[in-house]
Amino acid sequence: MIDDDLLMAYADGELDELARARVERAIGEDDSLRARLEQQQRLRATLAAHYGPTAEEEVPERLRSMLETNIVHFPPPRPRPRPIWQGVAALAASLVLGLALGRTLLAPAGGPVAIEHGTMVAQGPLADALDLQLASAQPAGAPVRIGISFAASDGRLCRTFDSAALSGLACRGEAGWQVMMTAAGAGGPRGDYRQAGSGSPLVAQAAQELMAGEALDADGERRARDAGWRRR
Amino acid sequence: MQAFERELLTLLPRLRRFARALARDGADADDLVQAALERALKARDQWAPGTRLDAWMMRIVRNCWIDEMRSRARRARTFVPEEEGEMVGSEAHHEVEIRAEMHAVDKAMNSLSPDQREVIALVLVEGLAYREAADLLDIPIGTLTSRLTRGRQALAQMLEAA
Repeated sequence: MIDDDLLMAYADGELDELARARVERAIGEDDSLRARLEQQQRLRATLAAHYGPTAEEEVPERLRSMLETNIVHFPPPRPRPRPIWQGVAALAASLVLGLALGRTLLAPAGGPVAIEHGTMVAQGPLADALDLQLASAQPAGAPVRIGISFAASDGRLCRTFDSAALSGLACRGEAGWQVMMTAAGAGGPRGDYRQAGSGSPLVAQAAQELMAGEALDADGERRARDAGWRRR
Repeated sequence: MQAFERELLTLLPRLRRFARALARDGADADDLVQAALERALKARDQWAPGTRLDAWMMRIVRNCWIDEMRSRARRARTFVPEEEGEMVGSEAHHEVEIRAEMHAVDKAMNSLSPDQREVIALVLVEGLAYREAADLLDIPIGTLTSRLTRGRQALAQMLEAA
């Protein structure tokens, strides 16, 4: 005797081989059973035709943006497209930076970064800012602005920073702040810090790649500082 | 970019289809997905990484849908006895309009009990295995199969009669 539950389970591919063979034998001998099975197959096709296209449609912007804006913990990119000369200026700035870094290697005393035991570490005012400065309470006119602070997937605490010449991302290790990456600073000679923390999109992207979980909020940042940026 | 949001983005097409099978039309379905996303983003700490995000998310969509139906029922109850005049008239008229414009499949799905509709949506539309669907709804597998059988028989009859 094949009841409807069993027939439906057959239609849904839920039966083991033995039960399947039994149902198939019964269908072969009973036309009304076959008709009921076919009715169910038509129903499945009708539902697929009606609801299936929804999954093929483009997802409406209002839903996508809920997730996309949630991913970004930084202020949105500058609304207006950059004039081409600004790109050129940034490129020039990074060339200058390259030269500056080159000099730092020879004379580590001066710049914001030094090479120690083969790794690039922050020093001077940059190291101080990374150690002490809170993004939520930045002194006006501070030479270094802190962007976001977060835990990396290896447990180290990391911070993004921005200054006139240099912006970048540093993570706290045994020997101080290891500079993970740098890009041209946003400030330049114009000293324009209105968009505190916006920094370079390259830095923002690197931060997102390294980040485990979410960026620290003001409270978390303060606690991490007070705990000496100890690895989590 | 964070893995949680990235994975949710890839789930969106399926979640919309699931919501579409529960709700009565496309606009309601997207409102439902939106409510579910809001809830998921707030409750993200409750999702255990390594477990299936799709099942977790479908459960949230389903719970939002139940909540929405309950509050609709409440609204209907509070309106009817107190303000029997125009409000009821226009609400009822609106309902009739919506029903008239509805596709036969939506109409048939809407006439099922919520218990039946959700198992149909999970198994026949989303293609979940019985075990997965029963776990998602926290019901025994026997309960699932009997709801499924009754729901699909009712659907088949309505749609073939139409």
